[in-house]
Amino acid sequence: MQQEASNLMTDYGHDLLFGTFITPTAMPATHAVDLAIASEQAGLDLVTFQDHPYQAAFHETWTLLSYAASRTERIRLAGNVLNLPLRNPVVLARSIASLDLLSDGRVELGIGTGAFWDAIAAMGGPRRTPGESITALREAIAIAREVWDTSKSGGIWLDGEIYQIQGAKRGPAPAHDVDIWVGAYKPRMLALVGQLADGWLPSLGYLPGGPSDLAQMNARIDKAAEAAGRDPRAIRRMLNINGQFSSTSRGFLNGPPSEWAEQIADTAIDYGISAFILAADDAQTIALFATEVVPRARAIVADRRVLRSEILAAQVSASGGLSR
Amino acid sequence: MARYGHELQFGVFITPSSDAPQQVVDLAVLAERVGLDLVTIQDHPYLPTHLDTWTLLSWIAGQTERIHLAPNVLNIPLRQPAVAARAAASLDLLSQGRLELGLGAGAYWTAIAALGVPRLSPGESIDAFREALAVVRAVLDTNAERRVRIDGAYHQLDRAAPGPTPAHEIPILLGAARPKMLRLLGAEADGWIATHRFLPPEGIATGNAIIDAAAREAGRDPREIRRLLNIDGRFSAERGAFLDGPPEQWVDDLLPLALDDGVGTFILMSDDPAAIERFAGEVAPALREAVYRVAPEAQHAPRRRRAAARARRRDGITYDDVPVSLAASAVEPGDVGYAELRSNYLRGGSPGLILRPENRDEVVEALAFARRHPDLPLGIRSGGHGISGRSTNDGGIVIDLGKLNSIEIVDPATRLVRLGPGARWMDVAEALAPYGLAISSGDYGGVGVGGLATAGGIGWLAREHGLTIDHVRAVEMVLADGSVVRADENENTDLFWAVRGAGANFGIVTSFEIEADVVGDIGWAQLLMDASDTADFLQQWGAIIEAAPRDLTSFLIVSPPRNNQPAIAWVLAVVDSSDPAVIVDRIQPLATIAPLYDHQIAITTYAGIMANAAQGYHSGRGEPAARSGLARHITPELAAGVAEMISNRSTYYFQIRSVGGAVSDVPDDATAWAHRDANFHLTAFGTSHQRLGPLWDALRDQMDGIYLSFDTDPRPERIADAFPPATLERLRELKQRYDPTNVFRDNFNIQPARQTVLAESTD
Repeated sequence: MQQEASNLMTDYGHDLLFGTFITPTAMPATHAVDLAIASEQAGLDLVTFQDHPYQAAFHETWTLLSYAASRTERIRLAGNVLNLPLRNPVVLARSIASLDLLSDGRVELGIGTGAFWDAIAAMGGPRRTPGESITALREAIAIAREVWDTSKSGGIWLDGEIYQIQGAKRGPAPAHDVDIWVGAYKPRMLALVGQLADGWLPSLGYLPGGPSDLAQMNARIDKAAEAAGRDPRAIRRMLNINGQFSSTSRGFLNGPPSEWAEQIADTAIDYGISAFILAADDAQTIALFATEVVPRARAIVADRRVLRSEILAAQVSASGGLSR
Repeated sequence: MARYGHELQFGVFITPSSDAPQQVVDLAVLAERVGLDLVTIQDHPYLPTHLDTWTLLSWIAGQTERIHLAPNVLNIPLRQPAVAARAAASLDLLSQGRLELGLGAGAYWTAIAALGVPRLSPGESIDAFREALAVVRAVLDTNAERRVRIDGAYHQLDRAAPGPTPAHEIPILLGAARPKMLRLLGAEADGWIATHRFLPPEGIATGNAIIDAAAREAGRDPREIRRLLNIDGRFSAERGAFLDGPPEQWVDDLLPLALDDGVGTFILMSDDPAAIERFAGEVAPALREAVYRVAPEAQHAPRRRRAAARARRRDGITYDDVPVSLAASAVEPGDVGYAELRSNYLRGGSPGLILRPENRDEVVEALAFARRHPDLPLGIRSGGHGISGRSTNDGGIVIDLGKLNSIEIVDPATRLVRLGPGARWMDVAEALAPYGLAISSGDYGGVGVGGLATAGGIGWLAREHGLTIDHVRAVEMVLADGSVVRADENENTDLFWAVRGAGANFGIVTSFEIEADVVGDIGWAQLLMDASDTADFLQQWGAIIEAAPRDLTSFLIVSPPRNNQPAIAWVLAVVDSSDPAVIVDRIQPLATIAPLYDHQIAITTYAGIMANAAQGYHSGRGEPAARSGLARHITPELAAGVAEMISNRSTYYFQIRSVGGAVSDVPDDATAWAHRDANFHLTAFGTSHQRLGPLWDALRDQMDGIYLSFDTDPRPERIADAFPPATLERLRELKQRYDPTNVFRDNFNIQPARQTVLAESTD
């Protein structure tokens, strides 16, 4: 019975977050900042920027993120996701902590292995194999957590395959417990998410089978988490989404706002996604998403969560107890 | 200061304490409030007691508006140099040109190496820094317009794209003490940051001597390099040791550093708000006064370009004589921002100097400067969208009117609007919309006012409301001799006639008075249709337009067949009515010409249709090939000829605009635009004149006249096509009167009457 129930619904129990994924275009210079402010004003929870430091038409994302944090008051911010190979992991961790301190705890660390190795090498960065890039991310996450952990004494030492840290000092500690969100698709990376991350941040556009691919990927993360002795619910499942508002329904996230809300709620309930980050580069789309989609999606999910807990309660009493 | 002629500046050096972030930010905000010029932050990424310097500077940029920002100095071994350069461009853009980039080679190598960076010896670290500096310069130089390769021992770039372009020329300041670093600084950098407490006696003079010698050896003027000094001290009642005393003593102590050692910027190392206020309020003004009393010329120091920028100057331009009012904003080939201004919408350009006047008087000065260069091309640019691209050139002067972009509703009752030539039509449409007004311009919002409103203006409301020039009620213009005149129906009437259709030959209009029309919501249709029988489609469309009421204006674009798809017609139409029944009635006949692939019909606003310009700057390349023709009817011969050009792909973009209607109400001789009986304007864009030209020329007998704004043919015959004989004769007489020496010669030149006579007599 319980197996059926989890097939019916996946829910890791996180509150829902809604945010934007904004192109960090450098022209006009403040366009991306204006959209971050628009995201805050529309009432969204989160603003994120992609990070491609080799892309000359874009702002350098950390600078943009820091400036955008300075121009906003409430909204949370993250790279989506920051490019590790072109950043020193200790400096990155201190930068995250610094901005978290300056912004009163509004920063999370979205991080990825890097993907476009020719472009990274063009900038003077390393060219890593897939295996090396995963090792680098694994080491960098460990380094970041050590930098932020000022409760321990002594320096940070890591004789890693990629990074050799020799007594770097700890601190500053961020203002809040910073989440580490990782973009991942392939088995080894999904395992890393299950073992080390606080959040999983894939993009809908990179899922060849659409949202239904999420089930199998979730399962890999869950398995790796359990093998590492972690509760799978410790890992927030997030999704970068893209779509189009239109008057008639034409498919997934291509229709009227009410239909978007239904589809997002379905994705939250069926696949346990608790953060939806919309790729949007104009204020009207952001406002439409925030006012017409988000409240409806929240309401539908809340209703279904009540229903789910009632069904589960009924199942538990019928089977004489919850095995897990 | 006195030695190097820089304006005196004052800054602070704030400790980025991670245990008191808000206090740090408050000090930066205070520094701005008390009038200091610069806030600087040290960078020691290995210290956990410090906030990350770049993050903090970016945050401070968001909390301040005027004060400049600088790392003092950025630790390059721990900062990926190419990323640091892009970050610098970003912070400069976000802060609107307030970044000064202090860089250092790194000193505390045990601490640096702890973060996983290979340890370098002092000598190696400077070699590595030299390469990093080359990387930073290359990434910030977007004028080079090519990807960068640097194959250094420590740093490599492999076809990295430069950019983004910063908001201003970011000065690169080096923290330096060792002779090797000072020599590098003299050859490469824009400023020296020294710290007084670390300097030996006579340290500034010694350092200056090394820097100046290295600068001269590199072909530079030592005055290109600003000298900045970090200082620390104490305000106290009694006079004591160096910078330990009352503010008057500080002034006495600092004066010789400014006058004898040439320090241009004093940076106070302090986290005490009271000390920062006293430094700004009691030291800075008194020291300025004392210094400028001795060296008044430094108070308004001229802009000094780096030798590397001056090396890209073009021959024949007296750069040092650019008027003072224009010098600060002038853009040369070596300047930041040149890549954004050099080219036009379709035509590539490489002007030697771009002058950017902000008002009429500066236009007069810019023109006077241009007159002193009679052998160089001269472009006058408003929006830079002109198809022929005559507003840019190769090696000449461009007067860019982009800053004269005012939009003023003079009187809503009489619908009179005053526009600067550099305003863009989409901005005009947006500004007029709240008043229920509109001016029919062209079909693209990014077009500038000046070029279009002196040439014609065939827009979305042409049949209902006429050409843009038909609404011009007066112009203020700068003539070839520099005089400023007003031309309207009572004053300088000849000029007023000429400027409406042939304005580019007569002067620079600095202000237009235009009577707008009352325009409410309008119908807007976009129909995508099968045009496989292209000739038939063109004729049917033409016949429908000619028969339609004036409230319909339609533009037709035909794309050639490709990938086994037939030719596609894109019919765009505006109906000047908000009544759905009227809109449907006008659009219905167009929609039945041929099978419809897709369509959208909406009720919108004129401003809504015009808000269509792409972001970014013009990046035209090469020489565009486009031809224009006006026609009364789409005859079978004309339709067949055009259809053939489309099907054999001699043109990649073909458009017809409906004219006629209100345009034809104006007599031929009322303006320099004379082809009032045309119902259609045709234009074809091709890949070359060799291919497009003969086919177009073969259709000339089907057309009568051209619209210069859509023709790029350099042959002088186009002038006679554009202006009928009587009009041209009058234009040449007026040209002789208003521009006898042919100052305005590079945009479809009308020869002054006498000049041509002389030329003929010598034949």
